[in-house]
Amino acid sequence: MTVFQHDVLVIGAGLAGMRAAIEAARNGADVALVTKLHPMRSHSGAAQGGINAALGEEDSWESHAFDTVKGSDYLADQDAVEIFAREAPGDIIELERMGTSFSRTEDGKIAQRPFGGAGFPRTCFIADITGQAILHVVYEQVLKLGITVYQEYFCTSLIVEDGEVRGVIAMPMITGDLAVMQGKAVIMATGGLGRVYAPTTNAIACTGDGMAISYMAGAPLQDMEFMQFHPTSLKDSGVLMTEGARGEGGYLLNSEGDRFMGKYAPNKFELASRDVVSRAEQTEINEGRGIDGCVLLDVRHLGEEKISERLWQIRELAIDLTNTDMVHEPVKVRPGAHYAMGGIKTDVDGAAPLPGLFAAGECANVSVHGSNRLGGNSLLDTIVFGRRAGVAAAAYVKQVASKSQISEAALAEDQNRIQQWMATKGSGGERPAVIRGEMGRMMREDLGIFRAREKLDSALAKIVELKGRFENVRLEDTGKVFNLDLLSIFELGGMLDVAHAMVAGALAREESRGAHTRLDFPERNDEKWLKHTVASRKEDGSPQLDYADVTMTKWEPEVRTY
Amino acid sequence: MDVRLKVKRQDGTQPDSSHYDEYTVEMPEGATMLDALLQVRDYEDGGLALRYSCRSSICGSCAMRVNGRARLACKTKASDMANGDEPILVEPLGNMPVIKDLVTDMEVHWDKVRRITPWLENSGPEPEREHIVMHETMVDVSNALSCIQCGACVSDCTVLEVDKHFIGPAAFAKAYRFVGDPRDDTTMDRLKALSSAKGGIWDCTRCNICVEVCPKDIRPMDRIMQLREQVVNAGVEGGIGARHGTAFAGSVRRTGRLDEVRLLPESVGMFNAPRLLKELPGAFRMMRAGKLPWKDTLPLFSKPIAGIAHVRRLFDNARSEKKEAKR
Amino acid sequence: MRYAFWPGCVSKGACPELYESMILTSAKLGIELEELYDGNCTGAGVISEHEPELADALNARNFAMAQKMGLDLINICSTCQGVQSLVQEKLDRDEEYRAKINAQLAEEGLEYKPGLVIKNFMWVLAEDLGLDKLKEQVVRPLTGLRCGPFYGCYILRPSRILGMEEHPERDDYLEQIIAAVGAEAVEYEGKDKCCGFPILTNNRKNSLTQTGTHIHEAKNQGADCLVTPCPLCHLNLDAQQPSAAEVIERELNVPIIHLPQLIGLALGIDPDKLRMNRHVIGTQAVIDKVLAAVEA
Repeated sequence: MTVFQHDVLVIGAGLAGMRAAIEAARNGADVALVTKLHPMRSHSGAAQGGINAALGEEDSWESHAFDTVKGSDYLADQDAVEIFAREAPGDIIELERMGTSFSRTEDGKIAQRPFGGAGFPRTCFIADITGQAILHVVYEQVLKLGITVYQEYFCTSLIVEDGEVRGVIAMPMITGDLAVMQGKAVIMATGGLGRVYAPTTNAIACTGDGMAISYMAGAPLQDMEFMQFHPTSLKDSGVLMTEGARGEGGYLLNSEGDRFMGKYAPNKFELASRDVVSRAEQTEINEGRGIDGCVLLDVRHLGEEKISERLWQIRELAIDLTNTDMVHEPVKVRPGAHYAMGGIKTDVDGAAPLPGLFAAGECANVSVHGSNRLGGNSLLDTIVFGRRAGVAAAAYVKQVASKSQISEAALAEDQNRIQQWMATKGSGGERPAVIRGEMGRMMREDLGIFRAREKLDSALAKIVELKGRFENVRLEDTGKVFNLDLLSIFELGGMLDVAHAMVAGALAREESRGAHTRLDFPERNDEKWLKHTVASRKEDGSPQLDYADVTMTKWEPEVRTY
Repeated sequence: MDVRLKVKRQDGTQPDSSHYDEYTVEMPEGATMLDALLQVRDYEDGGLALRYSCRSSICGSCAMRVNGRARLACKTKASDMANGDEPILVEPLGNMPVIKDLVTDMEVHWDKVRRITPWLENSGPEPEREHIVMHETMVDVSNALSCIQCGACVSDCTVLEVDKHFIGPAAFAKAYRFVGDPRDDTTMDRLKALSSAKGGIWDCTRCNICVEVCPKDIRPMDRIMQLREQVVNAGVEGGIGARHGTAFAGSVRRTGRLDEVRLLPESVGMFNAPRLLKELPGAFRMMRAGKLPWKDTLPLFSKPIAGIAHVRRLFDNARSEKKEAKR
Repeated sequence: MRYAFWPGCVSKGACPELYESMILTSAKLGIELEELYDGNCTGAGVISEHEPELADALNARNFAMAQKMGLDLINICSTCQGVQSLVQEKLDRDEEYRAKINAQLAEEGLEYKPGLVIKNFMWVLAEDLGLDKLKEQVVRPLTGLRCGPFYGCYILRPSRILGMEEHPERDDYLEQIIAAVGAEAVEYEGKDKCCGFPILTNNRKNSLTQTGTHIHEAKNQGADCLVTPCPLCHLNLDAQQPSAAEVIERELNVPIIHLPQLIGLALGIDPDKLRMNRHVIGTQAVIDKVLAAVEA
């Protein structure tokens, strides 16, 4: 049995994970990053448009906070949002000093572009490669600090003994031999779960692993029914076209050539918040004013120079994936599953209700995004709450006594699962891709932008059916080295659990709020539903739903228009 | 459309296990190589190992050799790779060990990234807020750092094929990102290190392979050339590599043409006897073959072209402008 | 067919056989050459490393001289082609920069205007003369001669700069030409890789390992000789071949033929006049094979 020991284990090495690791290391903890990829392959790198902070003299953190609360359709916890907006400028300045090459204004200061749902141009950016540019710099700091990185280690489960987190079980892809990774605290930073949908803007690696293993270990997931659909994703692949395209002045057109957003958001047009724009697009498409199930994103009027400097990545993607040069013609886009507002329930320091477990970034729910996240707030979330989780975890481990012995039972359970799957080769069971495909299509159809009781009922039945079929899943690769077949089965098991919580939450929430639109309950209902959904996993794998209050400080719910 | 693939399979722990498997998958028009390979992995052969993640040319996972050249699978259309009756040839990246099938061990590359001090060094007093920097400079830096470290250039680099110490195109592009960044205050140290390192900037042959295979248009070789230019401009000792450039330019300034006979001694150093001795047999062979006519071996006789005055003026223009700029 | 002819420094220096064979071969093919006697070195990509703008001005000077003659420009060197194409792309793309460079040429009465056609001899054979026309003029088919093509980096990469979008077969011309003159092209790994010449002074071992490896591979595939449109590659492949053989510890002894020599042989020109005797690695075996084929 291989055993690694550290004070703090950070699972996932995207922006939230690496930022957390840096801060925990600065606070004296022995930290290790554990990632199923290489840090540079993390999906934070795919974030295109930008990162928000009230840097401008006429802007204020209160304004940023209000926009965020309004964007959340008042479901965000306002104490968390206040911290978030107040600490943003300092974090941006720190990123800049670390070496982030933010685009500049003419006088050499950090430039900011307008983004959806924001009352002020407060989105800092590096062309349309913001996530990648920051990911590089943060990884550089990880190298500089000499933080240990276990790359291509997949975490199969969280070790909890005596009600406290003691580490994780992980499978190094290169050997396939499970290892015990002992840590006094674990920070989950595994990112999103977009792959429960098909298609999605998310990377193939975004399978919600951290949420799944935390949920399995007893940590509750919060507000899972809220899934953001990004208004501009490419049709078949689902690949993202940045909100920056609209931030820079791009139009959305329907088949009649109308800038239809005027009807839905007379003040903000294309820069309304994402739930509003995606709903509008889907309405246009449903009412027959779409083109091949899409609308058009038109940036031609911005001119080649601006497009090549500020939107070059998406221009290239559109050429590569759809043969469309945005300089000369509009590109077909549609709403695509993009971001999980929900996640592991935490406090403002990233601490989950399970002692020793922390979470940050997309896999966490603090909650600052409520029922709809604003563009440019997710990168900020990773940095602010990644840092805070790092501080908190480093402090926590100081109070935990010496490293306790981990019983071999923890390892044996996962080893048994693997052995059972290995024995299915050549059996009549189903391949994971088949089950995954059906789940993805079902989620898109039944848990999409517009939802209703009937579809949600059938989604619930379907998820139960798929979970049953998963019991007979068939593994084909029985090798040890880089066994992706085994990895995909672990991932799928987790995704089915997480999807179950999403469906159950959506079925229960009988109102429309943010990204959750019920055709049968079209209005927001603050009296009954201004509350968080808290899902805990029952013995049989189904979710137990409870509800928690939303923290309010300054902002009373108002009617939300853009 | 039917996509036919011929994929190199290998278990890295068993060096003799390499062989090719063929697959045919039905794919929609416009499918990428990654789509086709995932179709194989999901439905034909669950044992096929490859790396992938974002599908949008940003994570850098899925670089591999397709028809003999390093490419990102998610950026390459299968239909563009089809070659008549032959299946599309899919192999792992070169210049690094194979772990399994299309998965390679990129540590050889990451080690080199670590060699170039891959973080911003700034010991000066911190500005109150952000550093004030020209927008154009940040665009230049951002272009260099939009390298996704996919390893395509590392795979096909012709110098790495013969010398594993060469720091390599991607790591040099990363080095340029710091040298070109005005916020870094260790530029001279960096230039010295890059110039004098084993496998440093002067070992690039300028073969342009890295420029050709780079899926993100980073032009790593051009970054290496920018580093060379900076080394020379900064007056850092550049060794034979830098002297070669100076001697070359000197020859053209003198005669309008390249004078190979003087180039070698001037590059390696007129008094570098051991190295010159090494070259003697070669020079002898060339004379014997009539390649170096006797008269030309005496530099006094190499005649300048008629318009030499104009050529020299072009040199003087360029250099006075450079001095001006320095001031 | 008339061209402004840029012979490059090497054909006037260390590879006189290239120059002489080009003059004879072109004449036979009906290609008229107006030599740019007053042209200057392209800088071979070396000057541009330290002084990019100077290198651009030097090349613009050659371009403008060709334009003054009213002719397309032909070269016989992959390196010259690569440098010229790169500079031309920069000048044609950027009007402001072009004006700056032109201001320096003005005193000599020269001006570069965008759009000059610049072609290596290899491209001229395939695109302007045409391979059918070439075939028609072959009087001594090189039947049975196995030639390894060796392109030289700068005529292949960057492919976009070298017009491969418009002429996608430019990376296959050598094979096509070898076939057109009746010889057989040998496939081997190194044909489009680097000969190592640019780092010969700086890193002799790497340079000679590259050269030696390519020659060795071609030899293993049964090549009688290598054919190259680049005299700089020739210098490393031929003149340095004995040293390269020592470095890679393999016997080599593979003749390296300039492209115009190969064509000249097929056109029936006397091998001595093509200066086949001016090689470090003797070419007699190639000549014997060619003459034997004719007799048979």
